[in-house]
Amino acid sequence: MDAYFYIILVVGLLSTVLCAGAGILKKAPNDATILSVAAVELSLLVYLVGSIVRVASGEQIAGEPWEFWGYLVTALMLPVGAVYWAILERTRWSNFVLAAVGVTALVMAARMNQIWY
Amino acid sequence: MTASQQGTGDAAAAADSPSTPTAAPAPRDTRNTGPGRLLIAVYAVFALSATARAGYQILTKFSEAPLAYLLSAFAAVVYIVATVSLAKAGRTWFKVSVTAVLVELIGVLVVGALSLFDAVNFPHETVWSLFGRGYGFIPLLLPILGLIWLYRRRPAPRRP
Repeated sequence: MDAYFYIILVVGLLSTVLCAGAGILKKAPNDATILSVAAVELSLLVYLVGSIVRVASGEQIAGEPWEFWGYLVTALMLPVGAVYWAILERTRWSNFVLAAVGVTALVMAARMNQIWY
Repeated sequence: MTASQQGTGDAAAAADSPSTPTAAPAPRDTRNTGPGRLLIAVYAVFALSATARAGYQILTKFSEAPLAYLLSAFAAVVYIVATVSLAKAGRTWFKVSVTAVLVELIGVLVVGALSLFDAVNFPHETVWSLFGRGYGFIPLLLPILGLIWLYRRRPAPRRP
C-alpha cells in the first residue's frame, strides 16, 4: 500500500463518517458533506496524476494496466455521480448516498494498489 | 395480495388522496425517493462492479470456469435490471423490480450455498459466492432491503 492509498483511506473514511453522521442527524446534503466528497474526488485526481507521472517515468504496473486504469476512471466518476444523484433530491438519505462514496473509493483504491504492485 | 389487504389498501388510498397536498407532490407509485435513492445508488455500484468483473472474467479467462463466469454475467444483468427498474415509476417497473430482486435473492442464496457445500465445482469467485462475503455480505443484505422497500412502496391497488 502506497501513499496514494493512505490519502484516499483517510479522506474517504472522514468523508463517509461526516456524510453518514449528517444523515443520521437528519440533515440534507450541505456544503460540508458535498465538499468532503469533493475532497475524495481530489485525492483520486492526485492518484491519477501521480500514476500518469509514474508510468511516464518508466514504472511498470505489475497487474493488467487496463484493469488499473479502468478502476481509476470508474472511481473518478463515482463522486460526480453521487453528488448529482444527491442534489436532485436533497433529503437526509442523499447524505447516505454521499457516505457510500468514501468507502467505495477506499475499496477501489485498495484494489488499484493490489494491481499496481 | 389477499382481498382483505386490497380492501384496506384501497380505503387508505381513498382517505389519502384528497388530503395530501401538504407534502411535496410525490406520487406514491415511485420508488426513487428517500431511502430508495440510497438503495438505487448501491445497486448502481453493484451493477457497475459486477459488469466490470464479469466482463473481465469472460474476456480473459472464460475457459477456466465457464459456469462461474456466466453466473457472474447473469448477476451483472440482474443488478442492472434492478437498478433501472427501481429508478423508474409505475406499476410495470414495480413488477420488474420485484422479479429482479427476487431473482437476486434466490441467486445469492443458491450460489452462496453451492459455493459453500460444493466448493469443488464452484471454486471460482462470483459476486454471490459465499453469500457475497467478498463484498461485505452486501449482496445478501441488498435484496432483503430491496424487498422491504418495494413492499412499503407497492403501488396502490387499482380502483375497481
